[in-house]
Parts: sequence; structure tokens; C-alpha cells
Amino acid sequence: MEDILIVRPEILPDAFLWIFTVSTLVLVFGVAYAATITLAKMGYFSKKWMNLGYLFWALQTYCLYDLSVQIQSEPFTTKVLMVSMMAYFFIPHLYFRLIEDSDKRYEQSADIAEHKN
Amino acid sequence: MANENLSVWTSIPFWRRSAAWVTGFASILLIWLTFDTLGQISMGNDADLKAGTTKRVPGPTVINYKITYEMSKKRGHEVPVIGEKEAFFGKSDYSEKEARALLHLGKLTSQAKNCMDCHTLLGNGAYYAPDLTKAWIDPAWSKTGPMMAMTGKSTREEAMAEFLMHPSTYPTHARMMPELGITAEEAKGLVAFLKHMSSIDTNGFPRNFGKEEGSTNAQ
Amino acid sequence: MLNSIKTNHFEGNASKELGMMYFRVAIILFGAQLLMGLIAAIQFLVPGFLFELFDFSIARMVHINALVVWMLYAMIGATYFLLPDETDVEPIGIGLGKLGFWVLTAAVTVVVLVFIFVQVGAGTEASIWLITEGREYIEAPRWADIGIVVVVLIFYFNVFATFIKSSKKTGIMTVMIANLLALAGLYLAGMFYTDNISMDQFWWWWVIHLWVEATWEVFVGTLAAFALIKLIGAKREVVEMWLWIEVLMLFGSGILGMGHHYFWIGTPEYWWEIGALFSALEPVPLIAMFVHVLYDWGKEQGIAKAKGETGSVITNGPAMAWIVLNAFGNFLGAGIWGFFHTLPQVNIYTHGTQFTAAHGHLSFFGAYATILIGMMYIGVQGAYGAKRMKMNFNSKMGIFLTAFGVMGMTVALTIAGYEQVLVERAELGATWNAFFVAQNLPWYVQGQMWRAIMGVVTLIGFIYLAVDLLTIGKKAQAEEA
Repeated sequence: MEDILIVRPEILPDAFLWIFTVSTLVLVFGVAYAATITLAKMGYFSKKWMNLGYLFWALQTYCLYDLSVQIQSEPFTTKVLMVSMMAYFFIPHLYFRLIEDSDKRYEQSADIAEHKN
Repeated sequence: MANENLSVWTSIPFWRRSAAWVTGFASILLIWLTFDTLGQISMGNDADLKAGTTKRVPGPTVINYKITYEMSKKRGHEVPVIGEKEAFFGKSDYSEKEARALLHLGKLTSQAKNCMDCHTLLGNGAYYAPDLTKAWIDPAWSKTGPMMAMTGKSTREEAMAEFLMHPSTYPTHARMMPELGITAEEAKGLVAFLKHMSSIDTNGFPRNFGKEEGSTNAQ
Repeated sequence: MLNSIKTNHFEGNASKELGMMYFRVAIILFGAQLLMGLIAAIQFLVPGFLFELFDFSIARMVHINALVVWMLYAMIGATYFLLPDETDVEPIGIGLGKLGFWVLTAAVTVVVLVFIFVQVGAGTEASIWLITEGREYIEAPRWADIGIVVVVLIFYFNVFATFIKSSKKTGIMTVMIANLLALAGLYLAGMFYTDNISMDQFWWWWVIHLWVEATWEVFVGTLAAFALIKLIGAKREVVEMWLWIEVLMLFGSGILGMGHHYFWIGTPEYWWEIGALFSALEPVPLIAMFVHVLYDWGKEQGIAKAKGETGSVITNGPAMAWIVLNAFGNFLGAGIWGFFHTLPQVNIYTHGTQFTAAHGHLSFFGAYATILIGMMYIGVQGAYGAKRMKMNFNSKMGIFLTAFGVMGMTVALTIAGYEQVLVERAELGATWNAFFVAQNLPWYVQGQMWRAIMGVVTLIGFIYLAVDLLTIGKKAQAEEA
């Protein structure tokens, strides 16, 4: 255990601005992706716009990758992050499925559900 | 009653149970880690220091020793290094009991005077005044720094104590520390508290802390 | 003034009256918080301002304590307010609860007077017991700690006994009961003294972190669920299912997210990995809450339209506006401003700089102040029995100026913090001298200046807000009559 070392590399002063920007972009693109997919599926605008959502997802993935390079993460960590981005790809779809299904279920069986809990 | 079509994903009891399990699991993990951490951060004693056993938080008698902050190749960052004996207010053989009493007074004073609402300690607190984590080894208080000459004292601890008792007599910047009615004994305790804090292993925080003999490009 | 705190208009609903009493004190303390913040902001620019009379440490201490106390007041108020609606029974022990309210308010007054006039004590145990504990956010002296625990026990007993008495056990109340127990119990972790500063901060974070990044967030989820049902008629089952999912995600990430406070206080290195992993997950539930509020709003509006109803489904405009602002603010303040300095590689440079202050301002406002103010509007609507309450000029100015002011302060402090990171931390190595060099950089000073200006904007917004809270109910009542 004693030998497991994590070397904290130096960050150059010039690199900070980009690190802060890119980590902000990770979340901004993340929420933009979720919002575009949700709103498109709700029918606020055409399904074509979902492609824009996927573009946001791609940009988010790139930003996260770049962040991990900038803060000099270990290769293993970078791989883990990329796998989690694959998982995030499905989140808004899963999320919408959940909202829709729960709506269907509880709107229909309103009076049955009242007596539960 | 199309019950067979109802998915578990939209079931309230399912999510209630999952929430309870996840919360319980996270809490148990936190408690387990807490026990481990408490063991590692409990304060050492005089015997550890004499035997050279490294503790993350050394015993109070660490004030009898010279403390430096050096790069560790193994850890990849700076760590406090406890060196040879060094006099603290003219004395380098504080007993465990004496040192503990001094540290106790200093820590209590740091709370009663509300240090943390201007300064940061271990990086936590307010951001109006400098971080005190490694204040003891700050170059400003060394032989080459300005503070000894300003306070007319010849050792680091005496200069610090003098400053703490009459801070606005020794202004360094437009932003000054106010007089807080710190007595000579309390000042001594506070300096002991600061010296002890500088010996805590903070995983390399603050990074690249200024070295005493001009190794930074500070103005 | 005492009379204005007591006067209420609920027909015999004592629990809601008590809730309103808490709201009124909360808004007064919010005002005090802003004034103290303004003094501290001026002291950054003019260090001689009130020097050795009312020093930065005192202004700052009252600033953050007023914040914590007004939020706790508003939370207790909100709980007493929704208790009768969620249980359908007459709440138990409200008389005792009122006594508790006056005891707590008297204790808070004494503590604040001691903070302001006694300020500091000698380095003895007596100072810790009588004057201040000197630990950021929980400075209240030990006697007051014990008093707070007693009053909170009364409060918890009332809520718990009412919940047990009622045959209706809603998901909202179940989460509330469990979460309040954790919230109150955690306070005990901050009530002891130790000479070991690492140990001190270890337990101190148990209170601070497990409040603001776990139990308070879940409390917000509970209030949002209540408000969505109340304001736009969202379906209870859907809202409660999402509440459980939010609890899962918030506690799942928040409890171990504690690790990000244990990077540099003497604790072992394994907290780097734990802290980085779980705090990176912390924004996920915030995104979920954000999307969920917008979805429900859109859906209910759509249903109303399909039924041929015109106008908005929202029965309380200002409350809904503050709750939507909460969804944004929580994500921006806690999510973005939290995430970009939470990874250990970056945090070693940003820890203890104005970045933390920027994050603190936006997240306390975005995540907590917004929804609690929303609850106050719901309270006012109930107090005047108005079926609908619409935004008027004062409500709009109140919400716009406070949000704009806080956002402005946050951006200004972020710029100041960025300068501090570059010069004090990365280049000069965080010494005494490095600190002061960074404090005098032109960008840093300008950042502080804009912070003070935006602080004034926030204060003006607060005045509109306070006036609106006092008058909007009467106006809505008059319009409906």
C-alpha cells in the first residue's frame, strides 16, 4: 500500500484559464445535451434537433477528455472517464423513458395509487 | 388493472427501497473510512517523535524540533520534515505535559479570537488574511525576512508573539490585523499552535511554499 | 414589531401561523446578512473602515451566521407550513412550538448582541461557552448550541408526532422525517472541543458538508416536490417517485462527496480518489432536478391548454419564478461553480481562495435562498387566502435584482480568485508575501470593487423583495374581492 504513489504534476499558470473553461463546458454541454433530447422528445421542436443534442454530447466528451489531459490524469482515469461518457449517452433517453412511463402509469391508475403508501 | 405491464422502473416502492439502500451503503462506507482516518489523524506523542515515527499529526512536543517543508520524491509533493532539536522561547525540552498545555492554550485562543474569520487554517476559513497552515515556516519570519527586524526580536517565535500582541503597531500593508487583546502567554500558546500546525502532513498543501533563502521569485 | 411577527390570517391553523412567524424572522435576518456582507465588502476596498471597532472578522462572522440561521428558520417555517397539508390532521404541540420559537429567537438575539458588542474573549473554555466557538459557520457559543438542540428537539417531536398520528403517510413526509433527523443529529458533530486542528476540521465538515451538500439538498428536493404539487398541480405519484430518485442520487453522491474537503487537512491520500469521484457525480442529481421541474411545468401547461383553459396553470407567479430560479441556480452555483475547482489537481491551487467565496455566494443563493423565498410566497398566498397571485413590479424587481446582483458578485469574485490562483498560488508559493502581492493586483482589486457594487444591487433587490412580501398578499386579496 505504501508504494502506491500519485504524483501531483505542476500546472503552468498559462494552463489554468483553459482548465476552468473546459470544466465549465463539460457541465454546460452536459445539461444542453439532456435539455435538447428532453425537449425534442416532448415535442417542443422537431426530432431533427436531436442531432444537435448528440453534437453537444460529442463536445462534452471531447471537453472531458481534454480536461483529463490538461490536469495530467493517469491513463487509467482517462479511460474510466470515457466509459462514463458512454454511460451518460443513454441517461437522457433513460430519463425520458422514466418520466413518460411514470406519467402513463400514474395518470391512468390515479385512484388506485391514492390508496398506496 | 394491467398490472403485468407495470415496469419496476416506475414503481415508487422500488425507488424508495433503492434510495434507502444507496444511502445506507454510502453512510456505512463513510463511517468505516472515518474510523480509518481518525486512527491516522489522531495526535502522536513524545515517544513517536523520539523514535522518529512519522505521524500525520505529530505530538505537541514537536515544538522542541526544527520543522522544514521539503519535496518528497516518494510522495511527489512537499511534506513536513522534523529535524534536530531547536529552542522554542529559549527552551528545547518541553515535557509532554507542558507542550500539551501550551498547544491547548493556543488552540483555545485561536477560537476565542476568531482567527478563522479572517485567516484560513489548513485552507479553511475566510480569505481576508494569509493562510496560516505553514505560517511558522514562512520566509517573512526568517532571519532574512522583514518581521524580525520590524519587531526588534531575534528569534522567529518571539517576533511572531510580539506581532500577535500588538499587530497594528507593526503594519505590513494597508490591511492590518486588529488588536485583539492577546496576552503574552496567549501569544506564546498561539505560536506553539502555529508551529504544531506546520508539522501536520497536509498532502502537499500549500504547494511550492516559499523557501527561506530566496528560492522563489517573490518580490 | 413583535406584533407584526405574530399577526397572521389563518383561520385557526396554528401550525401555518407558526410557520409564518419563522418566515418573518428569516427575512429580517436575511436583511442583516446583506448589511454585514456589505460592511465586509467595503473593508476589502477600504481596510481602515471601522478598523478596531467592527473588524472584518466580526462583520464576516455575523454575515455567515445570519445566513445559516435565516435558512434554518425558513426551513423550520416551511416544515410547519406544509405539515397540515401533508398530514391532514391538526399538528401536535404547536403551543410548545411557539414557546420554542420565542426561546430560539431570544437566544439568537443574545448571541448576535454578544458577537457585535463583546466580539472576542480570552483564550479560555469560558469564551467557548459564552462568547464564540470561533469555528466558521458554527460560531455560536456552546450554551446556545445546547439551546438550539432543545428547541430543535421540540420541533422534531411535533413533526414526528403529527406524522405518526396521521393515517396519511405521503412520500414527501417520509423523506422529511428521515432527513430532518439526520439534519438535526449532524449538528451534534460540531459540539465538542479538541486541540487537534485536523480532528477539529474533520468533524466540522461533518456538520457543514453533510448539511449543505446532502441533507439541505434533500430538503430542497422535498420542498420542490411540495411546491410542484401545490403550484402547478403536478401529479403526486410522479413527483414522489422523482423525489425518491433524487434522494438516491443526492445521498449517493453527496455523502461520500465529503472526500473533497479531506484533501489537505491532514487526512490520508485515499480521499483524493473518493472526493474526486463522488464530487464529480454531485452535479448529476442537480441536472435531474433541473430537467424535472421544467418538464412538469411544460406538461401541466400542455394539459391545461388541451382542456381549453386559457392562461397559466401557475397559481402563484412569484413562488414559481423563484422555484424555477432554484433549478437554474442550484445547477450553476452548486454544479458548475463547484465542479470546476473540486478535482484535487486543481483544488490544491484554488483551495482557500476567492474561488471558494464565489462558489459559496452563488450556491447558497441558488440552491437555498431561492426556494426558501419561494416558500415564503406560498406562505403569503395562504395567509391572505388568495386563489391566484401574480407577479407585480416589486416581485419582478426583487427577483431580478437579487439574482443579477448575486451572479455579478460571483463573477467578480471568480475573476479575483483566478488572479489569486495564478499569482499567489502558482507563481509565488502561497506565503504571507504572496498573499498580499495577489491582493493588490489591479484585476483582483477591480474584482472586489465590482463585488461591492453588485452587493449593493443585491441589497436593493432585497428591499423590493421585502416590500413585495409585505404587500402582495393584500393586493391579491383585494383583486379577488
